[in-house]
Amino acid sequence: MYPEKLQNIIDLFDHLPEVERRETLVSYSDSAPKQQPRPNEKFDLEDVRKDEECADTVGVYLQVDDEGRAHIRMTLGPEVQTLTRAMASILCKGLDGATPQEILDLPQDFVTRIVGADLVRVRSQTTYYVLSRIKAICKVYLDRQRAREAEIRLPA
Amino acid sequence: MSTTPTQYAHPEALIEADWLEQHLNGKDIRIVESNEDILLYDTGHIPGAVHIDWRADLQDPVIRDYIAPDKFARLCTRNGISPDTTCIFYGDKANWWACYALWAFRLFGHDKVKILNGGRDKWKADGRKMTREVPSYPQTNYPVPARRMDKEIRAFADEALAQSAAKKPLIDVRSPGEYKGEITHMAEYPQEGVLRGGHIPGAKSVPWKTATNDDGTFKSAPELAKIYLDQCGLKSDTETVVYCRIGERSSHTWFVLTYLLGLENVRNYDGSWTEWGNKVGAPIEKGGGG
Repeated sequence: MYPEKLQNIIDLFDHLPEVERRETLVSYSDSAPKQQPRPNEKFDLEDVRKDEECADTVGVYLQVDDEGRAHIRMTLGPEVQTLTRAMASILCKGLDGATPQEILDLPQDFVTRIVGADLVRVRSQTTYYVLSRIKAICKVYLDRQRAREAEIRLPA
Repeated sequence: MSTTPTQYAHPEALIEADWLEQHLNGKDIRIVESNEDILLYDTGHIPGAVHIDWRADLQDPVIRDYIAPDKFARLCTRNGISPDTTCIFYGDKANWWACYALWAFRLFGHDKVKILNGGRDKWKADGRKMTREVPSYPQTNYPVPARRMDKEIRAFADEALAQSAAKKPLIDVRSPGEYKGEITHMAEYPQEGVLRGGHIPGAKSVPWKTATNDDGTFKSAPELAKIYLDQCGLKSDTETVVYCRIGERSSHTWFVLTYLLGLENVRNYDGSWTEWGNKVGAPIEKGGGG
């Protein structure tokens, strides 16, 4: 149902008591800088902006390889909250290698299994923000790809 | 003769980091971190500090209100807080949520409260010690408060309306764009479902940040007096109501007016714009600079 890497992360969080869940989220947050674009990396799409839902700039970078698999990098401004950082780290790792369509079709119910019902209840907007940004860039990519394919099919 | 205060009305309500650093293990004190970022405490905090979240710990999970007195007693009990404990609040965002938590503690009659000047950001920027170790304190037996001090320090919508109708002081501490009705929330913050923009008729615009320096510390007493007493005309014997969007930024101003300037009759309208901007029939003014 979920991409394998994401399923492994969900399985990890599914069995964590609340204290360890928070510690693991903080660990993912700590490792968020590793998801930044590497020097000389090229991307098919870049979406860097400040949104209402977030306290600082969040950048999403999408690269789709020759096999059609997505690789996502993210940049996070200094005021971005810890939970957003954690979700960025989790989703960059968990969705690596999935196709843009698989990402777009992903049901969002897994977020509660990772973050926990308590945190979702008190910070719901923060929790889903990163997933919505990743889905948005995948949708733009797919829309453009379909437009290109439609152009190719048109008679000259 | 000038009446400009040369020092805070209640200087004991504000503590400096140097003092706290020397008293981290002080008897009868409890350091309380309260943040907007719910996992920030977990990433590191002042040694010995406990974490109290404005939403998870202080608000009722079902209705829009604060927890009942028995839940407040349990919250204090499990954090090792007794009625004699001095709670020193600090947090992110220049102490917005710390002031909110302090105000909520006052709602339950806990008067031994202080704010760490500059909050979490300044403590960290100064390179002071932080830890991820979560402290554990012996449970106390905090008595259930007989009542909440709603009448004394909290304003409800009908009281804010009466304040407006009587042309008594109302202070809108939101950003100028929110006050004018150009936006319904702070830039880069969630829109929390407000249908109308503007301000309560007669309210003056004094953004919360007016009271702070760039490092999040509070301005001096003469500077604060000039802003709130001279320019706004607030007086100690006049009822004043402060509000913002959900009550956190106005808690900051409530602290300034109550503790630093010593105004005796200030109430926080915590329903604030997320209530007023949705309330059927509530009068609204737009534009203006307050």
